[in-house]
Amino acid sequence: MNCLQVEKHFSAYFEDTLDYQTLQTFEGHFAECETCQAEYTRFQESVKAVQQLPQIEPSPYFIPALQQRLTTEERETRSIKDVLTTQWQQLLDVFRRPKWAFSGVFALILAAAGTYFYQDLRPGPVATTPLTKQVATSPEVFPVQQSRRVAADRNQLLRGSVISTPTQPMQQRYMLKQVSYTTTSTSGGL
Amino acid sequence: MPDLDDELMERYQKGDENAFTLLVRRHQQPLVNFIARFINDRDSAEDLAQETFIRIFKAAHRYKSEGAHFKTWMYHIASNLCKNELRNRGRRDRYRVDNVVNSGNDSDGDAEQIDLIGNAPANPAYQPEVALERKELQNAIQKAISELPEQYRLPLVLRDLQGLSYDEISEVLELRDGTTKSRINRARLMLKEKLKPFI
Repeated sequence: MNCLQVEKHFSAYFEDTLDYQTLQTFEGHFAECETCQAEYTRFQESVKAVQQLPQIEPSPYFIPALQQRLTTEERETRSIKDVLTTQWQQLLDVFRRPKWAFSGVFALILAAAGTYFYQDLRPGPVATTPLTKQVATSPEVFPVQQSRRVAADRNQLLRGSVISTPTQPMQQRYMLKQVSYTTTSTSGGL
Repeated sequence: MPDLDDELMERYQKGDENAFTLLVRRHQQPLVNFIARFINDRDSAEDLAQETFIRIFKAAHRYKSEGAHFKTWMYHIASNLCKNELRNRGRRDRYRVDNVVNSGNDSDGDAEQIDLIGNAPANPAYQPEVALERKELQNAIQKAISELPEQYRLPLVLRDLQGLSYDEISEVLELRDGTTKSRINRARLMLKEKLKPFI
């Protein structure tokens, strides 16, 4: 055991808690080392000096002040509890209203829910025109294509080019031609 | 067999208000001493000790005597409050050595000493020079304690000033026994070096 190792056991030696084997080694070094003896003496004296420091007493107002703080704390906790209880009571009061009012509200909710679900379950309108015609005429059939076209038009507009006329379904093209023909012929006639 | 503190806590849990007052009376002095020595500020020590009792009061319904001892629980709360207080103070180093040392006048030993000095006692231990010397040593010790790093100061105060056992200190600080022992030894060695000019 060297001086550093001996120093590590100062507290245990001071409190007499060293095991037999360590105590033998400790005392073996201690008997021969004057430095360790001197260091231990100072160690012992400083520990005793600390242990003899006077006890600090609380002021005579400690307990009254504490009681006052406890009362304030208790009052605050109670007021929070009261607020929570009041809110909870208000919530519970809804269920304490007259039965007829509660059943009326419940019936209304049921009716609204029923209507909503009935609309969802009802089959949609039956198509009278052939599917091919619907596809050709209705712009809602291909919303994706439509939106793509709109996007393309917007891009062209941004590039400053002229918007190309979208390909019209057969019927619409025919109608447009007819209109233009009528307009031309009328103006020519006049 | 439950100790008196546990019994008082049980009584308080059952609605006996006096049991709590008794607990406060039993522990107010050691608690104030511990906090004052640890943070080196007597005024704040009383506030923190009161805060500790308020925390105990609030958490009393959760206290189970089988799980922990009242004393270690109390010191655990107090040391956490002290650590927070020191952290809040930051690096200002508001060490009020004089404050703590002057407060020593209130203690029994010193009160007796001052009284005896006033009556010009025959005992040389109570002569003004000796008293002054002792006072200086106490100042130096308190200063040395307050200069120790927090992790060493706390177990040292609990051991040498509060007289807690190593097991109790380990419980308060939530440390292993070996760590507690080595920290206390290290703290004492540091203190020995700091007190070299006086001892």
